Amino acid sequence: MLRILHILAWILFVGLGVEAGGFIVCAFFAAVNPAIVKNLWLWQDVDLSGLFSYPQHFLEITILMSITGVLKAVLFYLVVTILYDKKLDSPQPFSPQLGRFLSRIAYLSLLIGLCCRAGSAYAGYLAAQGIKLPDIRYLRLDADDVWLFMGLTLLVIAQIFKRGVAIQSENELTV
Amino acid sequence: MPIIVNLDVMMARRKMSLNELSEKVELTLSNLSILKTGKAKAIRFSTLEAICKALDCQPGDILEYTCDEP
Repeated sequence: MLRILHILAWILFVGLGVEAGGFIVCAFFAAVNPAIVKNLWLWQDVDLSGLFSYPQHFLEITILMSITGVLKAVLFYLVVTILYDKKLDSPQPFSPQLGRFLSRIAYLSLLIGLCCRAGSAYAGYLAAQGIKLPDIRYLRLDADDVWLFMGLTLLVIAQIFKRGVAIQSENELTV
Repeated sequence: MPIIVNLDVMMARRKMSLNELSEKVELTLSNLSILKTGKAKAIRFSTLEAICKALDCQPGDILEYTCDEP
């Protein structure tokens, strides 16, 4: 089961890494030479052509997409590493390392949620200005509420887990 | 921690090795070592009873309270 999860996490990590890399390249060229971004834009489902005449807005939205993409990739990198270290099938699961992992993915999820919220609010602002934008889910900035909910839930679980680590450590040091 | 474990003192008085005590109280060497070095966070009454029986002493001979505050 963990092996399948490991493979899935790897696939998702590579996919998200490639996507984030693409967004970063676009953001870079949008900052350096906005004229060639039109030729670089490879994502058929993300039609940002409405933004090509507004380089500043294009740069800002691609920066938000890049940050969100990188955070998602980092989250799955953490999942890959924890599955690689085989810390989940340990006879003593309440390890400080796993506690730190839970806290990290909780904070990352919260950050992703906040970035998505900022991105969708910004896209809403641009749409209100009359700029044609694709649906927010194509910008990979949707589901901010889901990410925030996941982050908060994980934060609560991480706090409970920390107590579990303390109890296990106390139990180990009881003779 | 203000609780000091004097297990090594009592073992020296009774001229008993850690291995011997481990066999008598049926406790692993690592657990006895945790207790001896003062790393233990808690001790079960059953363990204390077995140690007192093996070393023929009182709990007060093994555990000592010292006040840390000035």
